[in-house]
Amino acid sequence: MCLLSIIFQREIPKMAGCFDSMRLDCECLELGERRNAVAAAVSGVLFFTGWWIMIDCAAIYPSMEEMHHAYHVCGVIGTISFFMINAVSNGHIRGDMYSTGCLGQRGARVWLFIGFLLGFAAIIAAMWILFAAYVVPGGSRSQWPGIAVVLQNLFIFAGSLVYKFGRSEDLWG
Amino acid sequence: MAGSVKALILLAFAGSLGLMFLLLACALPQYNNWWPLFVIVFYILAPLPYSIARRQRDDLGSSSSVMELAIFFTAGIVISSFGLPIVLAHAGPVIQWGAAALVMTGNLVMYVTIAGFFLAFDGDADSWNYF
Repeated sequence: MCLLSIIFQREIPKMAGCFDSMRLDCECLELGERRNAVAAAVSGVLFFTGWWIMIDCAAIYPSMEEMHHAYHVCGVIGTISFFMINAVSNGHIRGDMYSTGCLGQRGARVWLFIGFLLGFAAIIAAMWILFAAYVVPGGSRSQWPGIAVVLQNLFIFAGSLVYKFGRSEDLWG
Repeated sequence: MAGSVKALILLAFAGSLGLMFLLLACALPQYNNWWPLFVIVFYILAPLPYSIARRQRDDLGSSSSVMELAIFFTAGIVISSFGLPIVLAHAGPVIQWGAAALVMTGNLVMYVTIAGFFLAFDGDADSWNYF
């Protein structure tokens, strides 16, 4: 219990700051003040591309035998993780916001932790679906649904990472 | 002002060009299929998030989180308007790939038009005087 609280209070603030100094890429591309807008646009492209991959797959394989409809849950969990990860700003985690919000600093960290947990869980579940339901059994049915689930969740998670770490809060003034 | 009248006429021409591509995708005799008209929903939705956010933003920083969310949703709407003809042509196929290509060309022209509206009429208070 003591060890966990030490990890929460000391290590996560250090880690949360490490992406703030990711300025190298942006100076090479000369983004400067437009960095936030570009990151938001790239994130939107990634997120919605993931969902359209799944829409395409569901339209081609409508039956439960080819693609079990429960596989959509992975994408839903990924989307929930997107919103949870981006609901807290880095300032909340570091503790330098004026208002504590309804959860406080520790609550914000737990929220972010659960958000990332769900994001990783969605990817792992999608990989599991691909291998257990499509690759290993083999058979005559198409492998595309399994690949589509994995691609969907990878794109959604990439979108949430770009939205979270691609934007700089210094530009908010 | 003469400058903005010229911009308006150019944008109207570009907009009608974009719609022409869309209608070609539907009305050409080898396609003869009116499903692609659904992307008009995305054309109508596309300017909305940015317009709403522009009125809400605080002028303190050079960016704001509301604007970034609006850009996120706008990117999503644009991707969806390209995704719909691809899915229609791929799954079914409901429309043919030639029609999908025409729809996507029309999309491109329409979004250039919409972006042109935002660039030409920059959202200053005086641009509302023309209404």
